[in-house]
Parts: sequence; C-alpha cells; structure tokens
Amino acid sequence: MTTTTTTEATLRLLAWLSPAFPTGGFAWSHGIEWAVESGDIDNAATLLAWLEPLLTHGSARADAILLRHAHRAAHDLDRLSEITELALATAASRERHAEAIGQGNAFRLAAAPWHPEILTKLHARLGDIPYPIAIGALAGTKSIGEDLAAAAYLQTLAANLISAAVRLVPLGQSAGLSVLAALEPLIAAVTAETAGAGLDDLGGCAFRSDLAAMRHETQYTRLFRS
Amino acid sequence: MLQTLPRHQRAQGELRVTVGLRDGRTVLRDLRQQGCMKARFPHPIDAHETVTLNTSGGVTGGDHLETHLHVEPGASALFASQAAERFYRALPANTPAHIRTTLTIGAGATAEWLPQETILFEACAATRTLEIDIAQDASVLGLEALVFGRTAMGETLHAARLNDTIRIRRAGRLILHDAIRLDGPADVLNATSSANANRATATIFHVAPDAESRLDALRAAWEHAPAETGASAWNNMLIARILAQDAAALRATITMGLNQLRDGRPLPRVWMC
Repeated sequence: MTTTTTTEATLRLLAWLSPAFPTGGFAWSHGIEWAVESGDIDNAATLLAWLEPLLTHGSARADAILLRHAHRAAHDLDRLSEITELALATAASRERHAEAIGQGNAFRLAAAPWHPEILTKLHARLGDIPYPIAIGALAGTKSIGEDLAAAAYLQTLAANLISAAVRLVPLGQSAGLSVLAALEPLIAAVTAETAGAGLDDLGGCAFRSDLAAMRHETQYTRLFRS
Repeated sequence: MLQTLPRHQRAQGELRVTVGLRDGRTVLRDLRQQGCMKARFPHPIDAHETVTLNTSGGVTGGDHLETHLHVEPGASALFASQAAERFYRALPANTPAHIRTTLTIGAGATAEWLPQETILFEACAATRTLEIDIAQDASVLGLEALVFGRTAMGETLHAARLNDTIRIRRAGRLILHDAIRLDGPADVLNATSSANANRATATIFHVAPDAESRLDALRAAWEHAPAETGASAWNNMLIARILAQDAAALRATITMGLNQLRDGRPLPRVWMC
C-alpha cells in the first residue's frame, strides 16, 4: 500500500476544489440570485448574515455530514449507495437537485486522471452522484483525511456563493473576501461539530434559503442555474 | 442506598389503522388502539376519513407515540388530527419525546395526511418522524406544520430541541428526506436565510404520477397569500413550503394551497373548528 503524505493530500484537495476544476460551480448560486433580487442580500454584512445559517443550520452543514459518511463508506459500495440515495433525497427543490448532481457528475468525469474507481462503480449502480458524496467518496479512497476534506468542501462552497454575490449585488472583490475571512471560524466550528454527527442529525432551519431556491425557478432575469 | 428519583408520568400510545377497498368503498379492515392514541371515524358509512387523537392532551419529554396507517391497494383514505398538537417544555434531563408515524400506500391507492399544526412550547424536546412508503402508481398529499411558540399570545421561542423528519419511499427507493432541526438556542430563526423572525412554517408534499403538473396552479393560488411561499416539482413529486408570521396566516395559506391541490374538495371538518 502506498503512503499518502499530508502534502499529497493537500495538493489533491487544492486541485479538486479549485475554481479551475471543471465542475461548473460558477453556474450555480444556491438561491443567492433570488436573495439579491428580493433585497435580502445587498452588501457584505447582509451576505454574511445570509451565509451563516447555511453553515450552522442549513444545506452546507448537511453536505458536510453527508461528505463525512461517504468518506467512511468509501470502501463499502452498498453502504455508500445508501448514503448517496439519502443525499439525493435531501434536495430542497428541483434546482438544488440539479445543482448537486450537475457538480457531482462533472466532478466524477473531471477526476479521471486520479483514477476514481469508486465513483465509476457508484455511477454504474446509481447514475447520478451528488457533489458532497463524490468528494467524500473519492477522498476516502485516496487517503485524504475526512476532516480536511470536509473543511475544504465548506470553504469552497462558501467561496463559490460569495463569488456569485460579488457578481450579482455587485460587491467589490475585497468586500467578498472580507466575508470569506469572517466565515473562517464558523467553517472551522461546523467542521468540528459535524465530526460526530450521525445521519439522523441531518436537517436544519434555513427556511428562506430553501424558499429562495424555489423562487429562483420563476425569476424573470437569471444569470445562474440555481 | 439508591437515591429515589421522582418519577414523571410519561404518555405512551400506539395506533394501528388499516383501510381497504370493498364494493368500491374504503372500509376499516383493522383497528388497534393502545394507550393515549385513538382513532375516530366521522362518517358512519365508510372509513374514508380517519381522525387521530392524542388523549394525553400534548407531548412532553419521554413520551412515546406510534401511529401505523395502512391503505390497501385501490383504496382512498384521508387522515386528519382532532386538534393542534402541542410539544410542551421538557426538562433538560428528559430524553426527547418520540413520535413516529408510518403510512403505507398500496398500488393505485390515494392517501392524504392532513394533521393540524404542532405548537412548539419553550424548551420542548421532540423527535418526530413521518415515514411514507408508497407504491409506484399510488398518490399521497400531506403536510407537516409547525408554530414556534404560542404566537397568539405574543410568545417568542428561545430554545427547542426538535428533529422533525419526513421520509418518503416510492417503490422502495428513498425520494424525500426533509428534516427540520433545532438544536437548542432558537435565535437562528431571526436570521434572513432562516425564518427572518417569522413564527410558523409548513411543508406540503405531493407524490403522484402527475404531481408535477400541479405546480403552476399552486403558485398561482398563492399569488396573494398572507405568507411567504415557494413550490417546486421534480421526480414526479411536488414540494411546497410556507413561512408565516403566525399560526393564523399559516393556516390561511395552507388552506389556499390545499384547496388548489384538492380541487376544491372541502377540508376535513376538524379543520373548521
């Protein structure tokens, strides 16, 4: 068995979760586009206030839990299939469902140079793979630590939503980065809190984030697919 | 010597209802009532409508309530609750109340799950699951509604431990896992992406071969609703959410939505009281 160093693990995560990795993340706003349209997000402070519950009580926390369980089941295809089915069922709306599988399926294809056998097998069995499952399962078979993968995933998700808001509000780059910096302790806290979370601990109360995802479907002018 | 701890009375109940088709009519096949869970059948001729009742008057920490509903192939059944449910304050040492409802719906059957709202009292603790197993060609329409505190009395909920989960399997495959969770402090409900200080919410679900075709009409029905609403449809399933200032606005908005989704059929009588 080959040994993977922390350096190698970090390099892989940086590659997979880089904005340059072709998962198409830039096309999805997770309902941010509606929240900007409705006036809920109009500056850095309101953006930060919108994102915090997503991390502590919303879809980002749920994704972190699913990613962790996929990581642990990465060598057990039956268990991983169950978790994947659960992840698919947690989508809050049609566009959320499309967002999760659009990025997950793109990630599986783009990860080919790393020989993602587990994703190939999972795809053969179930078809669509939601994004956090794809990251968790591949990290679990490529000796990348679960905590590191969860933290990196949350950071990437936050950065992607901030990037959407920067374009939509619009905000200056430095205002966007100040929100990312302000979220750092929360990302660390949610990474720690989800370490011991079971699948029964999924769930949250980011009601208006889910409503925004639904209302985006009928938004008149749209730059994003969610 | 062992210390004697005070014993608190805990409610326990189990209800089993099976309805099936006989001569084109939905009739009662089996009824078992135990403890505080009861069923009433408001129509003397058939068992199309079942009204469930928790005679303990509300839920406290440590309570254990089970309801198992079965709709046989081809039958048509509606389940409603006699009154709004109440999740009362639990002591910090209490295990959360455990409330589990299963609903199995056979081939070609139609089922409706229309309970009244659940009111969360300060410092309540409950785990509630609704597990629906539906045949591929069957249909279900249902909802779960929550009110955060006694809004009519101006109460604000500061803390609650709640896990309220709806799980739907169709032909054995999990298609929906929707969980509302509060893990103690409830101030998150004031945040813009949470409840934005609204005090009541509902999730409406409709699974049927033609469920997606009802989306536009539902959105139109809610155009002037006294609450924030959203609806979406995918995978032969329609999911809608409501966020309202209080229980009254929630109920008015639910009624508008159900009238549309139920083609104007009157709501169960218990809803009118």
